[in-house]
Amino acid sequence: MIAAGLVMVLTIAGAIIGVGARRIVHAIFGLGISLAGVALAFGLLRSPFVAAMEVLIYIGGITVAMVFAVMLSSGGRNEPGEGLLRRTLAAGAALLFLVSVGLVISGTEFGPMPEAVDEAWSVQQIGRDLLNRFNVVFELLSVVLLLAIVGAITIAGRGDESLDPAAADEGWA
Amino acid sequence: MTIQAWMMFALVLFCIGLYGVLARRNLIGILIGIELMLNAASVNVLAVNYHVANDPAVGRIIVLFIIGLAAAEAAIALSIILAVYRQRTSIDVANLEELKG
Repeated sequence: MIAAGLVMVLTIAGAIIGVGARRIVHAIFGLGISLAGVALAFGLLRSPFVAAMEVLIYIGGITVAMVFAVMLSSGGRNEPGEGLLRRTLAAGAALLFLVSVGLVISGTEFGPMPEAVDEAWSVQQIGRDLLNRFNVVFELLSVVLLLAIVGAITIAGRGDESLDPAAADEGWA
Repeated sequence: MTIQAWMMFALVLFCIGLYGVLARRNLIGILIGIELMLNAASVNVLAVNYHVANDPAVGRIIVLFIIGLAAAEAAIALSIILAVYRQRTSIDVANLEELKG
């Protein structure tokens, strides 16, 4: 109970840093804290394998890729910050969503906790289901990942031309 | 923790991400907001999986698929950000208005 509360506070605090920090690098560190908290939450929800994947892919992959993107671009350093009006409107929309969905959640009756056997919670069961029931989805996801990698290289990988602005413009046409 | 507490936690995380997407002008800042929203969805799925679902492997596999798709989405988004920066040395959304009607 206390552990869950601490994890929630950690995650929310990291998320607030992630959306609120002026410097984008600080925001990425806040996102990393938040993702670590989410991984701990997965562990508390009895899914340590998913938590490990969260750490590997999100903290080890996506945040590091974001840091590289900041290093390769200006990271928005020379640009004006968000105006007060924009932030107020965004906060209003987010609060509206929070209140409306929060009312739905607090008004819903959930059924009792089912009695799942330990066998069903094992990591082996994830592997069996991935290769039996969800085999098609699994293979489809690998194709999506392959296409995403090829697409990312195609979009971003114009290494030599980019040094010459004229050639880069031709590459875009 | 009750399932309501976990779902409220996921909702708060989602709304923080929503605020980030709407308020930020920096493309990487928007991407951070999207990642927070995806994580909130994952927490929600696992909370329901833990408290209500009969077949716990399914929810965990759904979350693994969400993580995989998020990785693909982040790769594409970051490459688009780099391409935009290379073309106009700025990643401010206010400058991206070619398709404005």
